[in-house]
Amino acid sequence: MAVDFVTDENAVERVLDQALAASKADETEALVFSSESALTRYTHNYIHENMVEKNWQLSVRAVIGKRIGVAATNRLDAQGIADVVERATDIARLSPQDDDFPGLPDDNTPTDDIPETCDEATATLGPQARADAVAQITQVMCRNALYAAGYVSSRADTIAIANSKGVRRRFRGSDSAINIKAIGETSSGYAEGYARRFADLSPKDLAERAARKAVEGAAPRQLEPGKYTVILEPPAFREFLGYLSWMAFGAQPFEQGSSFMSGRLGEKVMGANVTIRDDFTQREHLGLPFDFEGAPRWPVTLVENGIAKDVVYDSYYAAKLHHVNTGHALPAPNPDGPMPLNVVVDPGVSTIDEMIAGVERGVLMTRTWYIRLVDQKQTIITGMTRDGLFLIEHGAVKHGLKNMRFNESIVDALGRCQLASELVRSESHVLPAARIDGFHFTSGTEF
Amino acid sequence: MDGVAVGRAWIDVWRTKKCFASTEGSRIEQDLVQCGSALSALAVGSGDVQDRLYPGTAGLYQTGGYEIINNAKLLENARRTGEEAVALLTADQSPSGTMDIVLSGDQVSLQIHESIGHALELDRVLGWEANFSGLSFATLDKLNSFRYGSPIVNVACDMTCPKALATEGYDDEGTPARSVDLIRDGILVGYMAGRDTASAAGVALAGCVRAEYWGRLPMIRIGNVNLAPGSATLDELLDGVKQGIYMESNRSWSIDDKRLNFQFGCQLGYEIRNGKKGRLLKNPTYAGMTPAFWAACDAIGDASTWVAWGTPNCGKGEPIQTARSCQGASPARFRNISVGVGYGG
Repeated sequence: MAVDFVTDENAVERVLDQALAASKADETEALVFSSESALTRYTHNYIHENMVEKNWQLSVRAVIGKRIGVAATNRLDAQGIADVVERATDIARLSPQDDDFPGLPDDNTPTDDIPETCDEATATLGPQARADAVAQITQVMCRNALYAAGYVSSRADTIAIANSKGVRRRFRGSDSAINIKAIGETSSGYAEGYARRFADLSPKDLAERAARKAVEGAAPRQLEPGKYTVILEPPAFREFLGYLSWMAFGAQPFEQGSSFMSGRLGEKVMGANVTIRDDFTQREHLGLPFDFEGAPRWPVTLVENGIAKDVVYDSYYAAKLHHVNTGHALPAPNPDGPMPLNVVVDPGVSTIDEMIAGVERGVLMTRTWYIRLVDQKQTIITGMTRDGLFLIEHGAVKHGLKNMRFNESIVDALGRCQLASELVRSESHVLPAARIDGFHFTSGTEF
Repeated sequence: MDGVAVGRAWIDVWRTKKCFASTEGSRIEQDLVQCGSALSALAVGSGDVQDRLYPGTAGLYQTGGYEIINNAKLLENARRTGEEAVALLTADQSPSGTMDIVLSGDQVSLQIHESIGHALELDRVLGWEANFSGLSFATLDKLNSFRYGSPIVNVACDMTCPKALATEGYDDEGTPARSVDLIRDGILVGYMAGRDTASAAGVALAGCVRAEYWGRLPMIRIGNVNLAPGSATLDELLDGVKQGIYMESNRSWSIDDKRLNFQFGCQLGYEIRNGKKGRLLKNPTYAGMTPAFWAACDAIGDASTWVAWGTPNCGKGEPIQTARSCQGASPARFRNISVGVGYGG
């Protein structure tokens, strides 16, 4: 009978043991990632794609002196394991020496399991449950003379790591998401939900939210480009902040000098009301308690009350910069350095409705699209609004607007922002809505 | 060298063995080899960061063997790439306003990818990608009548193009490779269509349906979407500009979810004055609306300047799939374009 590395924990442990035993390198790391992921996609109110994938991968990092090689395979039989170990070792022999490499981590300090990270009902969610969710969404759309496009997804992941220095970890987690774009003749609206437990998501409530935006945004009007007060709902705010994770909050850009944080620890970089952390224990996150080298992961305060505090590290940069390893390594080979994966922006005191009520003339933004970096050091990004842009006048949402392009500095914007009181999970961020004054829209489009 | 904080170089090699079988009698086996390489330099100065990549926007990626790596001539261009990155730290900021621009061939390639390739994927037009990659302004009612660009703009999806990164014998629905006109004399005349979308819309197959691997549904992907070369040398393109900017190699790219409003930034620029390249400029950007932009194209480089530029990492679909595409292009000139957006423009 074929081995199922998604459900058979003992089989995963055997693979780790076999990989380490097969290696003749000075040091060896074996990482197994197995998952069962399912996604039901729909458009025009019918399911047009439906897939389930079960897959597993063994990645081996072989170290010979200061030379490193990495190879991966999804053939986890004895021959497959032997082959991938041999390939990793051959690559190590051919690689140039990295004098800064400190060796594989050896910290086997126990990490606390968070039971709520894995919900078995979500991990084993079937296609009927996803289809039922789509049915609830499309019923809302039909009542509103709209059609919906989006997806319902669920997954279960197992991550197991072992190295020749005695590190040994295993994690099992579940996750689910609902994504809805409600589309009318002249407008669209968006809603999303993410949860470790599928039962915590309400397809109907999310659909009502998306539909309301599409209905209220019908016949959108043009807004002149310029600087406006904007309220970014959590999905838009997450997309706005997202670039900071790879270009600023990791030790690699920090050390290279390309991060806005470089040389500025202890300095004021944002508004005093802004605190940004990476915290896998945050209730809405419940993420991986160790990194992809098996090092324990620690919460890190990146910006505290507007002051640059720290960045995240892996074992390589911790040794190079004489800093504690915060446990933020990504899977090898990794050219981009350590990165935060569980960003939290601490909340403010006003509800989003109170924030809207406080805007004399401004814009409510649901979501953004195609954000790209224009200037790394100044953290200037450009992007489009999408699926729900509204004019606010005298404290009330008035009507829909045609989508607009913005050019804005992330860090500068966070120096003139207010944050809402409710935290929401949006992909890898937990954050509130945000009000930003003087937000720069540079052009518009036709819809 | 001084000023370069990080230098990188990489080689990618893919060998893909595919076996396709269908109840319609297809049984196809393909053995495909694709290669690409590039190097980059990151320069860090006081309050500024500049980067240069060679060759082109993402490297030289094509279908073929190690000769493609050799053709990139990385070693011969490594020093110059680093020097340019450092020079950009102290270069003048590219100006804002409205002026003529000449784009390098690799930048035209990305312009094609974003504003023609994606806009003409028929599944997008039909709404199958609505919530993620988006829709398209190039709706079916525009077929055979809509002016997409100036009369010198001719674009085809040619899955047989030698060396082009997406070239295969058959796509992942078993459709033999072929060439389909997309824009002819500036008029929209075709789409990239798969078997289901082609039958839904009554258009021809393009043979560019692909899945990233066995675990993904095949979907329409940008194939080899090539802009036909024109008749101008690069000097002739520049010669027609009294005041403008020559922009080379992409750094940022953003377009709305119907492929209309776009803003692109390039790694470097040169001022053009009276037909000649002048001072080095940093952070050049330009913006526009797709049909108006292509309508402003009044000259295209000749066949000697044409390169099958590959894009090795196009993302689409849910779950997301990565595909390799090609947009063959020459340098080209565009009149009266908004430049310097994002830097006071």
